[in-house]
Amino acid sequence: MWGRRSQFATLKSALLKRDLKLAPEASVAALRSVSCVVDRGEAFGIIGRNGSGKSTLLKVISGILKPTSGIVRVNGRVAALIELGAGFHPEITGRENILINGIMLGLSKREIEKRFDSIVEFSGIGEFIDQPVKTYSSGMYVRLGFAVAVHVDPEILLIDEVLAVGDEEFSQKCIAKIQEMKYRGVTLIFVTHQLDQIRNLCDRALWLDHGAATAIGDPARVVDDYLQAVSGAAPATSPAAAEVSGAPQRDEEERWGSGEVVLKRVVLTDDKSRELVALGAGSSVAIEMDVEVRVPQDDFVFGVGIYHADGACVYGTNTDLEGLMPQHLEANGRVRFVMPSLDLVAGTYRVDAAVHTRNGRAFDYRRGVLRFVVGSRVHDIGVYRPKHQWKFEGGIAFREIDNLKRNVPAAVVEALQSSEKKKK
Amino acid sequence: MNELATLYRYRQLLAALTARDLKARYRGSILGFFWSLANPLLLLGVYTVVFTIFFPQQIVRPYPLFLFAGILPWTFFSAAVLESTNSISSNAGLIKKVMFPAETLPLVVVLSHLVHFALALPILFVAMAIYASLGLATIHATAALVPFLMLLQTIFVAGIVMAVSSAAVLLRDLRDIVANLMQLGFFITPIIYLIDNIPSRLLRALLRLNPMTPFVVSYQDILFFGHLPGLADTLLMIAYAAASMMLGIVVFDRLRDTLAEAI
Repeated sequence: MWGRRSQFATLKSALLKRDLKLAPEASVAALRSVSCVVDRGEAFGIIGRNGSGKSTLLKVISGILKPTSGIVRVNGRVAALIELGAGFHPEITGRENILINGIMLGLSKREIEKRFDSIVEFSGIGEFIDQPVKTYSSGMYVRLGFAVAVHVDPEILLIDEVLAVGDEEFSQKCIAKIQEMKYRGVTLIFVTHQLDQIRNLCDRALWLDHGAATAIGDPARVVDDYLQAVSGAAPATSPAAAEVSGAPQRDEEERWGSGEVVLKRVVLTDDKSRELVALGAGSSVAIEMDVEVRVPQDDFVFGVGIYHADGACVYGTNTDLEGLMPQHLEANGRVRFVMPSLDLVAGTYRVDAAVHTRNGRAFDYRRGVLRFVVGSRVHDIGVYRPKHQWKFEGGIAFREIDNLKRNVPAAVVEALQSSEKKKK
Repeated sequence: MNELATLYRYRQLLAALTARDLKARYRGSILGFFWSLANPLLLLGVYTVVFTIFFPQQIVRPYPLFLFAGILPWTFFSAAVLESTNSISSNAGLIKKVMFPAETLPLVVVLSHLVHFALALPILFVAMAIYASLGLATIHATAALVPFLMLLQTIFVAGIVMAVSSAAVLLRDLRDIVANLMQLGFFITPIIYLIDNIPSRLLRALLRLNPMTPFVVSYQDILFFGHLPGLADTLLMIAYAAASMMLGIVVFDRLRDTLAEAI
């Protein structure tokens, strides 16, 4: 009885009063005061528990749902992968479905015909393309849906939880495709429960809880805060929640974690434990961490990461990845991560150091805790310099010139000088 | 008028979806598209047998042709409206999961039933030719006006279908209401009887309030009797088509934003 009455009320009010809100007893606010700006070309992740409003947010952005209050401004062609193959009709062939799905996503018939072969190839459907879609396995269905959607050439791609489906191989292919799109400047907004994808693919992340933005910012930090909340730990001591607005400043150290174990001091040292800020390629160095234990732990992992100044990860590892089983962490101590030869190309590098549980809950995560400069007299390029030699046989000969006489890149000299000053 | 611009933009989608609808309907059946023809053909056969053998006393001769001329436009109308009550909710996936112009769904229903109507017409003409060759009927030149009537009727049907399809999402009862109205409608539309044979003037006027009456009467005029539609009927058809389109656009426009949530 009640249901029917509220439905009558809806139709009547919608028609007569232009009041599109559902009857109060039937409505739930899925999102409340979520404000954020996603820049062109950014990869933006959205995480949160089931029912926290993630999908609703995507639907609002895509225009499927209209917000009851507030504004959504979208500039650019949007393709929304809320559900792959949502528009497929089971009775007609894959070929015909590609056409219809493509038109629905905003392509013209001719544009689809042009992309047809590449869509079929990407999907890996093969000769099944001329079979009715109802004969497809669910994996094939999803593959075809994804293939069409990424060939629409959207400027903004909204992805909801769809990378979780399909086999490992296809899921890798999807991620590669998404990375390619990101590289081409497509703005990505995606919802997933696979937190690794957020960490690896996103520039920023948003954590939604009961329809409200709990944290926005660096993906690793937001994911950690989220994990902490989900695992039911005490509220984080980190300031992440306070930093809801504004992108993190990448040049400064960021730090978060529960504080049960703290990395008091993290430095780069040479093999004689002297602190270093600048070094030559191939130096023997160690990352030294002074650990303060406030609450003893039996589940703990130490990790380090080295990043190039442009943000690319040069190397990252932790004790868990390398098969070290935690036994006890009872009292203060020191951890040294020794690298007998750090073969890096000249440039500025940043180090992350962390101690966390094995499922990723941070005790203390220090992003960009230290920076160092690698200087070199050789103008080689890249990040990694393998140990190498040039050998020539037969009629090939070179005359060696003194490397010292050649120009050292100005940036490196500057960096070396400034780090020298800091030391004093 | 926003709607018309949207429609133009999505004309390819409309065409593709209509083709899909027609293809999917008969995919997997052996006779396939022939079923579109078989249904009216069987109907015509049954009427012919019933009204020449069982009830030879006919109000007009040949009665099967008269009946067929009225029943085809009626079927177009009633089948499209009936199916439209389901057209949006049966495509919930599209409305909820894809940024999709919802008005294409009811219009695809109209277009695919229009195609069925258009495919059934040749059968009527063949039947007329057979009767004519037996000297029982004549083929009238006024039959060439059929496309104009179809255009007007399509506008009329599209308006109703847009209003019904969107309202049915919020008011599920509409489905049953429409199904019953259609059964009643068949009898208050002069399909099986002649409107001129009704003795009461008042009743005749009331029958003309049924918007399908001028359409069916006009089809019978040009196809069966061979004279032009009356002026009153023509004006009524134009008025009903315009009013229906306006109703459809207004209702759909107001309900559009609630569809994804209410579905």
